[in-house]
Amino acid sequence: MKPARIPDLELDSLTSLSKARVGCDFQIRAVSGPGCDQLRKLGFCESLQVRKLAHGRNLICSVCGTRLAVSRQLAEQVLVSPVAA
Amino acid sequence: MTDRSELVALVGHPNVGKSTLFNALTGGRAKVGNYPGITVDFQQGSFRTPHGRRLELVDLPGCLSLDGDSPDQEVTRRAIHGEIEQLPAPDLVIAVVDASSLERHLPLVIELLELGKPLVVALNRVDLAERDGLRLEPDKLSEELGVPVVPLRADAGKGIVELKQSLRTPLPAPSQRDWSDTAARRDTAHRIAAVAARRATAHHETTSDRLDRVLLHPVLGWLVFLAIMFVLFWSIFSFASVPMGWIEAGQEWLVGVVEGAMAEGDLRDLLTSGIIEGVGAVVIFLPQILMLFFFIGLLESTGYMARAAYLMDGFMARVGLSGKAFLPLLSSYACAIPGVMATRTIPSAKERLVTIFVAPWMSCSARLPVYLLLIPMLLGGRESTAVQSLVMLGVYALGTLTAFFVARLLRGRLGPDEVEQHFMLELPSYQAPQWGYILRHVLDRGAAFLRKAGTVILGIVILLWAAQTYPKSDSDDPAEQLSHTVVGRVSDAIEPVVRPLGFDGRTGTAVITSFAAREVFVGSMAVLFSVDESDDEAETRDRIRERIAAETWPDGSPMFDIPAVLSLLVFYIYALQCLPTTAVVAREAGSWKWAIGQFVFMSLFAALASLVVYQVGSLIAGS
Repeated sequence: MKPARIPDLELDSLTSLSKARVGCDFQIRAVSGPGCDQLRKLGFCESLQVRKLAHGRNLICSVCGTRLAVSRQLAEQVLVSPVAA
Repeated sequence: MTDRSELVALVGHPNVGKSTLFNALTGGRAKVGNYPGITVDFQQGSFRTPHGRRLELVDLPGCLSLDGDSPDQEVTRRAIHGEIEQLPAPDLVIAVVDASSLERHLPLVIELLELGKPLVVALNRVDLAERDGLRLEPDKLSEELGVPVVPLRADAGKGIVELKQSLRTPLPAPSQRDWSDTAARRDTAHRIAAVAARRATAHHETTSDRLDRVLLHPVLGWLVFLAIMFVLFWSIFSFASVPMGWIEAGQEWLVGVVEGAMAEGDLRDLLTSGIIEGVGAVVIFLPQILMLFFFIGLLESTGYMARAAYLMDGFMARVGLSGKAFLPLLSSYACAIPGVMATRTIPSAKERLVTIFVAPWMSCSARLPVYLLLIPMLLGGRESTAVQSLVMLGVYALGTLTAFFVARLLRGRLGPDEVEQHFMLELPSYQAPQWGYILRHVLDRGAAFLRKAGTVILGIVILLWAAQTYPKSDSDDPAEQLSHTVVGRVSDAIEPVVRPLGFDGRTGTAVITSFAAREVFVGSMAVLFSVDESDDEAETRDRIRERIAAETWPDGSPMFDIPAVLSLLVFYIYALQCLPTTAVVAREAGSWKWAIGQFVFMSLFAALASLVVYQVGSLIAGS
């Protein structure tokens, strides 16, 4: 499903959280997929910053100072762009 | 105006400190921990405001929003809307939020505002938020939300008076606002959070981040996990020996007092061989049970439990469960009842049913006295505490692995979920243990154990003593006297049934008595195997074990050889001998059929496993 409000060109430059690099900060640009409601309730909302802390079957990230573990399939539904250092 | 006190409800995300706040407000003893999902049902208390007004307080299970679909979140939604029969709709809501993560918590507060009920926001953990570099402005938050906001530290009792003062009644209802959809609520929450809790832009590494690098490492994390489990069992064997010695000495002293004060006869025998020895044989394990609860409390309180769930998720997935099922299963090591109730946090109904079904195979603390009696018998009493701890770890592992195996089979049969479920878990910051709460929880569990020893176990050992004393025969031969008694007759009747499992009639009788509660087995064995003891000397725990171990079959072969002890151990690993657990399973699964099916299946499985172990073990030992 194509997330709303993100132009196609920009969408191409986004990466999913599951493929993002560990130890880097990202901005959540879109949350899209069957688990998006649950992800948003948990705190993965558009425009918030997220830092990926660990990779694996379930990856660990920090959103608004809270560490969350989410499955790779769910992280696939979170599209992020890097935050300039 | 009605007579009832006004009802205040505590609402917030899981693991935000609601139960800690509940305890701080009411002086209550609600269980607290540091992982999401400790509270799965509502609990009530009351307190007075500084103006002397009495308010009822209800602590509700954590929820991320008011439309959550897991059973614990359903409890919260129904309670807020006044749909629970024994609970009126709350007159006032305290929204508990974590100050360090306002962006995540405010959407729920906004949902609560939309209900139009009087609301107060408890801004908890302000110390941790400020330590993480957040600049909190509670006044601005209050201005934006239009309701009182009270900064506090529920764990340290700070801000509690201010919170009570803010609960002036009647509270004005907040102005009715409707953000129309979740996106609008989220946008408002983010805008307010940006004003009221300014965050330092750079992410700085916290102690929890550093600890997690080790504790959640794919290799190191597992080594630490196994080491923690080993230390837990090792300490149960080693540290508890001192207080056990005190209880033993007290028991001996009591027997001495009774024997000194009373003439020989049935009443004295009832007191010494029946009550003191039977109940004492169980009570002596109190220090070890307290130690188990202490360690589990410590793991919960520090935040390690959620890490254990994270580590276990990959393994759990192979048996058709998820890391979410690990927390209820781990709780079941202490007691299956809270474990079964904790399955309410599992979103998938099928996974929840399977977890409820296998939870009693996580060896609970009631099995501990049985294991502690049998393991030294298995090792001949010669092995060190380290070896005993390893065997104990193996006993726990056997129950756990079998549970996983059955879960895999059952999950396959139930089919996939209608809506695919994924693993999501908050990993709370590590924190220093809340010693006060751990101690209180341990003491509560100890009191519950002693209550059981003073009621169920006492009742059964008295009945058993009577059954193995009466009716009396004219013979002076203890063996003939025993065969004349009720126990002798029951033993003779059941011996052909239990003999293939390696048990004689008395052991079989002790097993039957323990269907009321597992711990009874130890007391029953102490009573049932004391009949041919002629001296009145007080015996130590080891001597009771030695006496049981020295029993022989009529042909002179040892009764409790390795296959027989293994068979008993296996029986107790698998048998579901706890009526309260069966009742809770029926309630949580919503079906007595499921609970009775579980009881019958586990009893038959235990008997079959015992039979196989004894028969194969005897073949190997004989070859």
